[in-house]
Amino acid sequence: MSSVAQVRTALRTALHGVTGSPVTSLVAAGTIGLCLLLVGAFMLLVSNMDRLLDRFGSEIRVSAYLSEELDAPSQQELVARVETAPGVESVELVTKEQALERFRDAQGERAALLDGLEENPLPASLEIALVPEQRNQAGLRVLGEALEGLPGIAELGYGHEWIEGYQQAVALIRGVAFAIGGVLGLATLLIVANTIRLSIYARREEIEIVRLVGGSRSFMAAPFLLEGGAQGIVGGGVGVLLLYGFYWILLPSLRGGLELLLGYAEPAFLGLDESLWLVTAGALLGVLGSALALIQDGDRA
Amino acid sequence: MSRGEGPVVSAGALVRLFHVSKSYLAGSWALRDVSLELEKGEFVFLTGPSGAGKSTLMRLIFAGEQPSEGQILVLGRNVGRVGPAGIAPLRRRIGVVFQDFKLLPRRTVEENVGIALDVVGVAEREKRARVFAMLKRVGLHHRRHHHPLSLSGGEQQRLAIARALINDPEILLADEPTGNLDPDLTLEIMDLIADAAARGTAVFVATHDHALIERYGRRVVRLEAGEVVHDAPVRGPLS
Ligand SMILES: Nc1ncnc2c1ncn2[C@@H]1O[C@H](COP(=O)(O)OP(=O)(O)OP(=O)(O)O)[C@@H](O)[C@H]1O
Ligand SMILES: [Mg+2]
Repeated sequence: MSSVAQVRTALRTALHGVTGSPVTSLVAAGTIGLCLLLVGAFMLLVSNMDRLLDRFGSEIRVSAYLSEELDAPSQQELVARVETAPGVESVELVTKEQALERFRDAQGERAALLDGLEENPLPASLEIALVPEQRNQAGLRVLGEALEGLPGIAELGYGHEWIEGYQQAVALIRGVAFAIGGVLGLATLLIVANTIRLSIYARREEIEIVRLVGGSRSFMAAPFLLEGGAQGIVGGGVGVLLLYGFYWILLPSLRGGLELLLGYAEPAFLGLDESLWLVTAGALLGVLGSALALIQDGDRA
Repeated sequence: MSRGEGPVVSAGALVRLFHVSKSYLAGSWALRDVSLELEKGEFVFLTGPSGAGKSTLMRLIFAGEQPSEGQILVLGRNVGRVGPAGIAPLRRRIGVVFQDFKLLPRRTVEENVGIALDVVGVAEREKRARVFAMLKRVGLHHRRHHHPLSLSGGEQQRLAIARALINDPEILLADEPTGNLDPDLTLEIMDLIADAAARGTAVFVATHDHALIERYGRRVVRLEAGEVVHDAPVRGPLS
């Protein structure tokens, strides 16, 4: 036995199948392409929201307000201790004077009001940034617990509570994308299975004859699995290209929308790995669809 | 490569039928209580009027149909029990010339013969050489790139014979293999088949052609209405 010969035979037979019924093959590939176009659109949305989340994540900080009695050396000591706390990326000391300066800058024209103050009411603080993987509610809680016990820290302040809401929105969209992807995948699977069944039906006479001269079940099935896989790869590739096309056509309006919503516009297309993932998903859909058809029409093939 | 796989029943009997009956429709028998054996290298003619059950008998041997009653042993296997997965390996050791040829209309002459080697996984280069040699033996090598439907009836028949013989089968079942051939070609093809028998293939040829039976003078099994009415050498007491 030579498996090279068997693979070659299967490929040749699959090619016969595709050239024998090109329209059917195109319909199957087109269906897979459309399905993956939609799935890809959701992937694009989710991946861009993820990137936005990352960017906002770098703005998640904890402010630790220091008690008045802490002198400068003790403040430096505290910085060193906080730097070793769990999940901390960096610590910046903001002295009373710097705090007042920032406040003054932020107030702009109304800063003149501050001139009436006899003493600086603002406390010194530590601006603590978290490592990326801790930039979430749980990471904040862990850090908060670690800081609470430290002497010299009067109060903790957290900014950006809305991040949690945004995260939930991303999770929701991701869930919806999975659900829609699943439904589309299933629908595509059935359509591919049916086109392959047509192709099995068109070749039923040939299949019967090859069975009569001793073709095994796998010998008969291999070309159909290959045909399904090839349709899937072509469909997946077409889906990714279409997505890319739509993306470029719609990019200007996308950019405007993002800017309006988030004051930030830098959409990015799927990476190479995600594009390959889509094509692989197409191949898988094709092969599974064929397998389904072969199970349904097992007696014929 | 197809020889010597698995156990073979004693005394070289490659095919054994025990009280086999076949009914396609309730109440009518295509075959009725048929028992016979086919030895290694034996050359047996199967004869009888149209509808007597000759094709049915052959279909039972290559497991194209299952018997309604009785047992069939082929190459040591009980065809009623090998199951779907066991049928393909068995068929690869049996060459069949179908009465209606069963050629692949969309494949070339060359590919039609090659398919019998494809199913056993013979490498491309070896396949080409063997297919060409076999087509030459049946006189079809010059038509190897044509499609079966563009061949004459006799050419199609020779193509079917080439496909049946290409794998050096242990059993050859030929259903009217010379029905469309002129006398000269008939003799050439029969010589080819007799060669296979001389090399050890058990050959079963269904035919109406008495001249052929006389000429080759072997064992003859005669069926009538599904029953074996004669089974002896052609010049034996019953003939
Ligand atoms: N698939 C089938 N379904 C129903 N009846 C069948 C089927 N195949 C054969 N028969 C019947 O079984 C009987 C034997 O048929 P078979 O084809 O074996 O005859 P045969 O001896 O080969 O005839 P011929 O010389 O014409 O080829 C006939 O009565 C036929 O009508
Ligand atoms: Mg017949």
